[in-house]
Amino acid sequence: MATAEAGQEVARGGNPALRAAVGKVRSAVGLVMKTNTGRVGGIIVAIHVFLALFGPWVVPYDPIAFDPQDLESRFSAPSTEHLFGTDKFGRDVFSRVLAGARSVVWIAVGGTTLGIFLGLLVGMTSAYMGGRWDMWIMRGVDVWLAFPGLLLLLLILDLSRKTLQVDESLVIILTLGIGMMPINSRVIRSAALAVKPLEFVQNARLRGESFLYIIFREILPNIVPVVVVEGTLRVGFALLAVSGLGFLGLGVQPPTPDWGQMISEARNNMRGAPWAALAPAFAISSLVVGVNLLTDGIRQSLNLPVNR
Amino acid sequence: MNENGNAPLLEIKDLAVTFYTQTSVVRAVRNASLHISRGEVLGLVGESGCGKSTVAFALMGYLPGSALVEGSILFEGTEIASLESSELRSLRGNRIAMVYQDPGTSLTPTMRVGPQLEEVLIEHMNMTQEQARARTAELFESVGLADPGAIGRRYPHELSGGMQQRVVIAMALACDPHLLIMDEPTTGLDVTTEATILDLVVSLKDRVNAGILFVSHNLGVIARIADRVAVMYGGQTVEEASVRDLFKDTKHPYTTGLLSCVPQPPTETGVSTRLQRIPGFVYRAEDEAGEACLFQERCPIAQERCSSQAPQMEVVAEGHQARCFYPDEVKTEIWGVPEPRVIAPSDGAEEILDVESLQKLYGGARKKYLLFGPEVQPPVRAVEGVNFKVGSGRTLGIVGESGSGKSTVARTIVGLIAPNGGRIGLRDADLAGDVEKRTNDERAAMRMVFQNPTASLNPKLPIKHTLTRALQRFAGVRRSETRQRATELLEAVGMSAEYLDRPPGQLSGGQQQRVALAGAFAANPDIVVADEAVSSLDVSVQAQVLNLLEERQKEAGNSYVFISHDLGVVRYVSDDILVLYAGNVAEYGSAAALLAPPYHPYTEALLSAAPVPDPEAEPTRIRLEGAVPTMRERFTGCFFAGRCPRKLGSICDEEPPPAQQGPDSANHTIYCHIPVDELSELQASGEAPAPSAV
Repeated sequence: MATAEAGQEVARGGNPALRAAVGKVRSAVGLVMKTNTGRVGGIIVAIHVFLALFGPWVVPYDPIAFDPQDLESRFSAPSTEHLFGTDKFGRDVFSRVLAGARSVVWIAVGGTTLGIFLGLLVGMTSAYMGGRWDMWIMRGVDVWLAFPGLLLLLLILDLSRKTLQVDESLVIILTLGIGMMPINSRVIRSAALAVKPLEFVQNARLRGESFLYIIFREILPNIVPVVVVEGTLRVGFALLAVSGLGFLGLGVQPPTPDWGQMISEARNNMRGAPWAALAPAFAISSLVVGVNLLTDGIRQSLNLPVNR
Repeated sequence: MNENGNAPLLEIKDLAVTFYTQTSVVRAVRNASLHISRGEVLGLVGESGCGKSTVAFALMGYLPGSALVEGSILFEGTEIASLESSELRSLRGNRIAMVYQDPGTSLTPTMRVGPQLEEVLIEHMNMTQEQARARTAELFESVGLADPGAIGRRYPHELSGGMQQRVVIAMALACDPHLLIMDEPTTGLDVTTEATILDLVVSLKDRVNAGILFVSHNLGVIARIADRVAVMYGGQTVEEASVRDLFKDTKHPYTTGLLSCVPQPPTETGVSTRLQRIPGFVYRAEDEAGEACLFQERCPIAQERCSSQAPQMEVVAEGHQARCFYPDEVKTEIWGVPEPRVIAPSDGAEEILDVESLQKLYGGARKKYLLFGPEVQPPVRAVEGVNFKVGSGRTLGIVGESGSGKSTVARTIVGLIAPNGGRIGLRDADLAGDVEKRTNDERAAMRMVFQNPTASLNPKLPIKHTLTRALQRFAGVRRSETRQRATELLEAVGMSAEYLDRPPGQLSGGQQQRVALAGAFAANPDIVVADEAVSSLDVSVQAQVLNLLEERQKEAGNSYVFISHDLGVVRYVSDDILVLYAGNVAEYGSAAALLAPPYHPYTEALLSAAPVPDPEAEPTRIRLEGAVPTMRERFTGCFFAGRCPRKLGSICDEEPPPAQQGPDSANHTIYCHIPVDELSELQASGEAPAPSAV
């Protein structure tokens, strides 16, 4: 959306810096779409994003409300009426999958963005300060990484639920962001380490530039490709994490539809009504596969080595 | 040689190499003709982008499929292009061999060097293991590697750069090649090592009876070893002659231009002449040549005919060809009459920078963290007790081999790394070690220019960024005025405002270095530290930048600390010179005093090794073997004792050398045990010391 608006402004003349930026984004998108994986992944992700944005307006049935008296419509198999069938309360699974897309996408993208931002701060600081600072920051990150991922997420989730009185999805975003920070900061640190010794960074030091100026204005533009690839890659992980939390009943709370939570609810009836679990599972896996393909396409278009 | 009636070993006629890429057509070689006989060294010289290396690769058949090769390459009467790939392979292995610029990448890092060579012999010469081993020892000896057995058991990384290059040369000689191609074989090496490798090449020429094609950008190197020289410009050979004729009776304006760009040793009076410059840039390989001389845009004697007709190679004298319509009008003076370089007055200059007993240690100080971390080992003593002063409007040159601590000195005084001891005084103030702890005025007063122009500008930001930030931070220029001021800065270094918004990647190396200079000059600094600032540039661009530095100094009266491994450049620009060895000062004094005997033995060796673009120059032959040692321990005796060709005896190993004053100037210090008078006598005699037994 932001690019669309920016695009309009460019059409009206706009300022040259913005025009250049939009031009760069356009040509970057063009390059990604030239790769096979990028194209397929991009299309899958675009469909998901479209449904997440406009799904609520196209859903045929109310995804939340149900009639406790209406036993007839429970567990009906997929049909033209109910594309993915209905669940144990007789709610339309297709409508619920569509409605669930929004929270999943929003939380995964939001959490990743936060995680990347924190990772940038920690990773670039560590790389730039170097020496003892680098050593201690990275050992801290190591300790963080030594915890089993899910356990750590649960810990942060629990803590933030107790201390912060904010929207449920914000809590999960915060949890994901903090949980993702260490691994992001490592990747970003290694990229920043390659830039740090270059003369233009030394030159900035000789000008007496501040620490924040150097890391964000001089170093960051040179590691953007790494950050972009890392970001998209992490969205895939975040999706799985959100669904995992939902499955354990720790994510978005009912009655708001959530894919992980839907699978969890439907798994007891797997034999009789597999569709209720398979539909959200398919949604999760297709989105994750789409994101990963897109990551691969971006990486190819940037000519970065496959290092994971 | 050719005059003896032998058919040439190699004859290239009208060679053209064109690369077709997705976006452009690159005419790397347009028209090259040359020939080499056995037992002869042909030097191929030119600036980067002129197609020298492409010619070498075409000879080896090492060009990618996207390259179109036209013309003829006759090797021993056989057309190379007509050969099957298997025939070509055996030709390459057995009769043509190549030595590349970087010896480190020419050797397999995981194999000991002896077996690497034996493998070649077994493969190509059908030798048995025992024969190969014996031959390997012979080859190692023939390239001057003492104790071949021990060398053969080492891995490449255990050898110094010079020794690696010797191994590579031994490998090239393994199959008794008829033609040896050497592509910038000494460019990555120190001058002292370069000199020994060049001696080796000269001795090889006599012993192996092979033709040698020696590609180099360095006219001094070419003058020292070539029999004949071919000069390339814009993908064409523009002049070909015997080395004497080429340097003394030049018939192409480009060649004279190149020669006048090279800093010459000062005359008897100690005054060097200013450099001439070739305007503009090398003819781009992407451009299509019309019916015109490629050099005419930059040529001072170009006439109408030159822009409407393309000159051909013509014989201008016996054994001398040139691609020019007016070869008889070519003189050195066409580039202007050289004027003497202005030297700043030595006395009465206000002192700007005063460095006292500067010390920098690397590593070693690190403690173990908890139970982990590296063992504590003694630190590397990169700089140990260095003193110097820089007066206002003067230039201090710092010279030494790699590992001598030059760059550490530069980085320490500007504050990029904090010293472990000593004092750095700027005018009256003592500077803090870290640049972050210095005041803004102190930072503005001392600026730095780096070696690598490409890395000193942020590749993701337009070039105006460097200039405007410096203006805002140091000159307090308001945002609205920065563009105007940045334009002025750019124009002062000879570039137009249109470059302001370009990314650095679109500029040539020379242009990038000018932008870096403009950024350094943004706030009228008192002193600019130039760390190898011209080392990566071509000679013509180097001359432009050196002149720019000098003009700037004349106008603004700033001082320079000019660091270079190239003694030719240092002695050209400097008023005072500091010779560093292994982090210690070997000799320090005014340029005039330092460049005349008596010298410190190390200075003498550097001077002797520095290539001079004059084939008739016969400097005293003093050669240093090995490399600068890594200084983990304090030297008990003289820092130079390990390699000194004039070593006296045990005193050099046991006592630190005294600081001796030079004979005619109080500002000339030599750190040596040999008394100054004795040094003068020894060095005036022009006799080389007996090679030390290493």
